[in-house]
Amino acid sequence: MAGGDAGMSADGTAASPGGPPPGTGNGGAGSVRVGPLLFARLKLRLIAGNLRGDGTRLVGFVFTVLAALVVASFGFFVMAMLRMAPAGVAADVGTVLFTALLVGWTVVPLLAFGLDDTLDPSRLALLPLRTRQLAAGMFASAVTGVWPLTTLVVTSGAIVGLAKGAGGVLVGVVAVLLQFALCIVVSRLVTTSLSGMLRSRRGRDVLAISVIFVILGAQLPNLLLNRGLAGDPLALLDNVASALRWTPPGMAAHAIADGGPAALAELAFLAVLVAGLGWLWIMALRRALVTTDASTEAASVRNSRGLLARVLPDGQLAAVATKELKYARRDPRGRVGWFAALAVTGIMAFSLNGQEGTSPGPALAIGPACLGALMIGLQSCNSFGIDGRSVWMNSVAYGTARDWRTDLAGRHLAVATIAVPALAVLSVVAGMLAGNAGWALPAMLTAWGVLGVGLGVGALTSVLLPYTVPERLNAFTGAAPGQGGVAFLASFGAMIGTSLLSLPVVLPMLLGLPWVVALAVPYGALIAWGGRRIAGNLGFARYPEILGAISRAA
Amino acid sequence: MTDMVDTADAVRTQGLFKRFGQQVAVGGVDLVVPRGSFAGLVGPNGAGKTTTLSMVTGLLRPDAGLIHIDGADVWRDPVTVKGRIGVLPEGLRLFERLSGRELLSYNGQLRGIPKAEVERRAEELLRVMDLADSADKLVVDYSTGMRKKIGLAAALLHNPKVLFLDEPFEGVDPVSANTLVEVLRRYTASGATVVFSSHVMDLVERLCDWVSVMSRGQIVAQGPLEAVRGGRSLNEAFLGLVGASANGNGEEGLSWLGATPA
Repeated sequence: MAGGDAGMSADGTAASPGGPPPGTGNGGAGSVRVGPLLFARLKLRLIAGNLRGDGTRLVGFVFTVLAALVVASFGFFVMAMLRMAPAGVAADVGTVLFTALLVGWTVVPLLAFGLDDTLDPSRLALLPLRTRQLAAGMFASAVTGVWPLTTLVVTSGAIVGLAKGAGGVLVGVVAVLLQFALCIVVSRLVTTSLSGMLRSRRGRDVLAISVIFVILGAQLPNLLLNRGLAGDPLALLDNVASALRWTPPGMAAHAIADGGPAALAELAFLAVLVAGLGWLWIMALRRALVTTDASTEAASVRNSRGLLARVLPDGQLAAVATKELKYARRDPRGRVGWFAALAVTGIMAFSLNGQEGTSPGPALAIGPACLGALMIGLQSCNSFGIDGRSVWMNSVAYGTARDWRTDLAGRHLAVATIAVPALAVLSVVAGMLAGNAGWALPAMLTAWGVLGVGLGVGALTSVLLPYTVPERLNAFTGAAPGQGGVAFLASFGAMIGTSLLSLPVVLPMLLGLPWVVALAVPYGALIAWGGRRIAGNLGFARYPEILGAISRAA
Repeated sequence: MTDMVDTADAVRTQGLFKRFGQQVAVGGVDLVVPRGSFAGLVGPNGAGKTTTLSMVTGLLRPDAGLIHIDGADVWRDPVTVKGRIGVLPEGLRLFERLSGRELLSYNGQLRGIPKAEVERRAEELLRVMDLADSADKLVVDYSTGMRKKIGLAAALLHNPKVLFLDEPFEGVDPVSANTLVEVLRRYTASGATVVFSSHVMDLVERLCDWVSVMSRGQIVAQGPLEAVRGGRSLNEAFLGLVGASANGNGEEGLSWLGATPA
């Protein structure tokens, strides 16, 4: 967002190159009509300003454009190819795709809220604009961009794929435009009505957590197909499509395929719907502009002492471990990390066993359990990153390498407190899914060993390759601008390192030397201890540099 | 050899130097703060105040120079120094997802103070800072004034000898500012030293008995308040020292400003 602001002010003060818009040059002399075009230009300038002077962003933008090109051409192609399919199937696919587009437009801007300043009405609240002007302008800025264009191209594919005859094409063009308008208006309505909530801390926390469900939701079709629940994919498609038949996108798709009087009625209904939603949006906008956000009300937290704090002796270890446990619970980034690690592993265990042709064996239980341990261990590859700028408080208190070792031990203890029981449950589940509950024990012991290795390696990457984790979690980045390379190196290095160092316990298990499992936990503990020892000394030697790396503005 | 510096000074730096890329942020600073003083570090934005304080408190590694606090070298004898200093850095960087009370007890435990003692001190600090009602709310939901107060409480918890505060009064409402001032006055009256940076000359003039003026990475004046201001107000003395003209130069442009709109 700061980048967007900077770009805006830079554009505002500098004479715009390449044909300045008429009338805006001499500030104040004569008034200028504030129309939708102005907002579209504002959007284009925000995009351009964002790219100025930053190589990584430029590369990111080029990739976005390339991705959009691929999606647009592929989507258009798929839609157009529906002409080859039987009419019923074609209409069904059209219905499902149209619905998917609408859902995408509703959900994605919410998750990415803040990437675009023109989405937030409060930014424009002080300008002397009528609500109607603002609505037209925000609609214009919403349709300006790479992804709206992509949507329009993909949707137009349906005209080629579904329409019959000249009348059908005419109906198709109107239906496509209506479907496109519907996507935009619904997405604006949702972000505007929730904008107050999205600005509050609690709202953003809730949203950050909901990212997980979207990611998991995307896995659902994959899982269903994997498990063979669908049986006949065409029948499944037909079921889904008939359920969606009377939804607005379903009607748009049907109208294109039908092209008759029923199509006209559907188009009329869609037009009324878009107008109605547009009106609702203007109302929501009007309310959002005059309502202050109530985000400063805050609830108290329970001042309870956890079990760990009661057991541990008073001191640094207890302080860091209990603080880490509180963060795992209270920081959305912590919750997302844990949930994602466990959920992904669960899904892996589930779908590995669902596949036909794999011979059942202990590997089916050990594999997912170790993978879970690896995923959890990877979360510790940037231990100080989540604390970020606040780590100064630790570093002004720590005067020796031993203090830093204790700090890392506290973090490891906190991770183990959650991970050890979680991996036990996971191993039992994986064992049962693999067909032999007896495999749970070796799976559990190996997983605990791998966790220890992961923590040891993670301690090293935490002090050698620290990076800033942005406070605003979104689904697309995990590091501050310019540190993507370090973040990649840290997590990739931790993954490779953990995998290699885990081989001595995992390999014998897979080769059928089960007694080695007894050594897994001591081995893991040894690596974790060694990692802490080296990392503690390194951390003490270079803590100002670590502090600098994790305190970047994100 | 340099460990035997004058132990009468709470803070003494020699030739402190820090460069960020091409930019010299701090170019040879010899900061001196006598023990027991209430010292103000003043200077315009970008003068190097924050960089100096970060290096003095051991949060940023200097490129060159020596720093002694109470006679102990910050980078050679960190255990001694870290036990003696309290810090409130710029930017209110605190553990956001802890409550105010938890933040204080975390800080106390990190410093090895027994838990019962931490709780007793935290309770008193929360009461004095007028934070008792918000003690169990998360710091992320605190206002700027509340954050400065909880930050100061955390910095005072282990009873340091020297306290470093970076812009403690910036963005703080008058009521909270008054609380901060009262606590700091009581603290220096007991013989401890406070070093704080500020732009607010009136406040520095009212509180401090020792002033160091920084401009463009250098100390341009340093000494007892009366000596630095030399009969003028501190603001006038400051503008003269940093080389800004006292009357603004906005006369030539902005002719349309305030005119009746056409």
